[in-house]
Amino acid sequence: MQKKILVVITAIVVIVAITSAGVWQITQQPASSPSPTPTQTATPLASTTPSPDARPVRIGLVAGYQLAEGQDMDRAAKLAVEEINAAGGVYVAEWNTKVPIELIIADTGKDTAGETVGPITRAVVEDKVDLLIGGYTSAGTLAGQVVAIENRVPFIITGASSNLVTRRGPQGNFGGLAEDDARRINDAEGMSYMFHYCTTTSDYSTTVVNFFAETMKPLIDSTYHFAASRPLRLALIYRNDAFGKGVVADTKNLIITNNLPIEIVAERSYQTTATTFQTDLTVIKDAKPDAVYVVDFIANTAEIIKEGRKDVGLNTVYIAVECCEDPQFYTLLGEYGDGVLLESKFASYAGPPFYLPAIETYVANYKAKYNTLPGMMGADTYDAFYIAKEAIERAGTLDKAAIRDAIEQINMPQMLIMTKTGTIQFSTGVNYHEISPVTFVEQLTYNATLQEARPKIVYPSAVPVVGSIKQAEFVLPPGYQPGSP
Amino acid sequence: MITPSGLAETLLWGVANGCIYILLATGLSIIFGVMKLVNFAHGQLLMIGAYLAFTTSVILGVNSYLAILVAMVGVAIIGVAVERLTFRKVLGTEKLNEIFVSLGLIYIFENAAVLLWGNKSAQIPSSINGILSLAGISISYDRLAAIGIVVVILLSIVFLMKRTKIGLAMQATSQKSDAAKLMGINIEKVYVFTFALGAALAGAAGALYGIIFPFSPTLGALPTIKAFAIIILGGLGSIPGAVIGGLLYGIAETTAGYLLGGIWPDAIAFVLLIAVLIIKPTGLFGGKGE
Repeated sequence: MQKKILVVITAIVVIVAITSAGVWQITQQPASSPSPTPTQTATPLASTTPSPDARPVRIGLVAGYQLAEGQDMDRAAKLAVEEINAAGGVYVAEWNTKVPIELIIADTGKDTAGETVGPITRAVVEDKVDLLIGGYTSAGTLAGQVVAIENRVPFIITGASSNLVTRRGPQGNFGGLAEDDARRINDAEGMSYMFHYCTTTSDYSTTVVNFFAETMKPLIDSTYHFAASRPLRLALIYRNDAFGKGVVADTKNLIITNNLPIEIVAERSYQTTATTFQTDLTVIKDAKPDAVYVVDFIANTAEIIKEGRKDVGLNTVYIAVECCEDPQFYTLLGEYGDGVLLESKFASYAGPPFYLPAIETYVANYKAKYNTLPGMMGADTYDAFYIAKEAIERAGTLDKAAIRDAIEQINMPQMLIMTKTGTIQFSTGVNYHEISPVTFVEQLTYNATLQEARPKIVYPSAVPVVGSIKQAEFVLPPGYQPGSP
Repeated sequence: MITPSGLAETLLWGVANGCIYILLATGLSIIFGVMKLVNFAHGQLLMIGAYLAFTTSVILGVNSYLAILVAMVGVAIIGVAVERLTFRKVLGTEKLNEIFVSLGLIYIFENAAVLLWGNKSAQIPSSINGILSLAGISISYDRLAAIGIVVVILLSIVFLMKRTKIGLAMQATSQKSDAAKLMGINIEKVYVFTFALGAALAGAAGALYGIIFPFSPTLGALPTIKAFAIIILGGLGSIPGAVIGGLLYGIAETTAGYLLGGIWPDAIAFVLLIAVLIIKPTGLFGGKGE
């Protein structure tokens, strides 16, 4: 009998231990030192006394820990917090002292629309964060940001490529949404606390279609003796959600608006729960495209490319979007990554040497700490912590309205993400808060020793401020078959 | 554009995908048929099987197809533990108790997988890369191997059920458990073996799935729903029903995707299920049980 009770108790303990170690919210103290008090970490000015009210800056990280991208954001955030705290913390003028950052984690699981409101509410209401950073999927961020809007908490959104995250209020003319669209936010003041430090679907579609028109079309025309009047035959395959449909709509719009020599010859969408894509790829193969634009996250994009090459025999140029810039993408692709294109704004694999010195340091520190290379999602997040530090120091207070005003006025040199001006500034000329990132196209080449492909930047040749970034010429992949003449 | 070769290729892929569903559904069907147990965590056993094969193949360097055996044995052992420590306690009580135990197991398995293998997607490196192309139809060797392996496993199951003592005991328990007990059959041992066998089939399905597709700790949910749909389609507790149901489901899924687009496969497959249930509520091969 006693043995049975012991077995039951042991089983319950194991179950509770495993379950509680899962994906619930975790609150983490800054850096590795145990809960430093403000006076312990403060660097007081010589002639003044730190205020007794001083406390750590509480920054909430909104990240989906069940996703590789969320883990990358977590690592980058911890690295930034550790660096900032090691340098003394954030100077808050009204307290005459520097205070550390306390990282509050709002774990949004897979960052779906149903998962973000709870963790963000806990961070805002219970943990009383001074600022939020993060957000990955557009659907999840659009749902969860409402909590920050209603509570007037500054939110630097480092993912979510839908421009609605900043434009769905009066400042952005409601993002063009219909009057009865539930996504409209009629709260100009609340929306003024939203800052988008990320590319939009329009940003990266612009780079992709320009690459096809300026670089790929001339190459296949000359290689296969196609007439200059023949448009490049492009196929689209995308997840059937706001993200996929947004990219496709922007791509078509850009082609028409700019009268680009590109024809959409096939367009296939699939459920977000899909795990196999052969049938869609077969239809695309029958349409005989010159290139396939794949719009999905890491695992599905890798699977689409692998199935296209391995199962369907669709030997074409595949281009993936920037959220796939992650170590996992290279691992999953393996040899099938050879010749694949990737639109990106942060290329941790395309160096050293890197196009920005800051990336060199970041990649080395990240690798030393986590024994892996960083992905793109973490890069935006890392920068955002320094933007928050700069804004709080400019504001001189943790008053949220003052922090918002300071972020609005921020003007600091670009860090890991290149911008068109070389500086980090939010929305000059419009009322909603966005940055102007520079995006580029990389091409992967398989490395048999590493058993993974590695990228080089192939487009554009140069960008403002930084200058030349091109590392190699774009080439057609081995076994490439062009579309119909 | 619909082409004959595209359609033929699609049907072949449907058969290959259907084979993985067959393994999962057969395991679920055997467990339900013998134990009358509804296990919603069956898909999580598939996920554990994929990870065990992945670990065996990537870390120990074992051939990916030999790793299927490791996955089957590993998941069978886990199945024994699950049956003895959880389902045994609630079997024969309210059905709701069994359902809630299996729902709890979903979270335990998923969280345990996250702790052990992390959140990232993984894929088992195949030992036989390449494509077979014939008359404009191409299929990877991995999918062909999956079809072959499932056929061998199903023949073994038929042999086990028809020619071995334990198989006959399982059939007897399935038909009338009280009468089987009166005839001297150790029902508890039959239950343990049945659950282990069902789990091993899920493990094999997981390993085959992991060779063909990437997977993550949350893989189990959708395959479980599909497996339930298949055994309802084929007839609860019927092994031939699970086989035919799995093939029909796989073919319906891929054909719908090809003809109508990638957003339709799940809907069409479930329309097929509803149609069969309206015409024959016990499923294609279903009969009256105990």
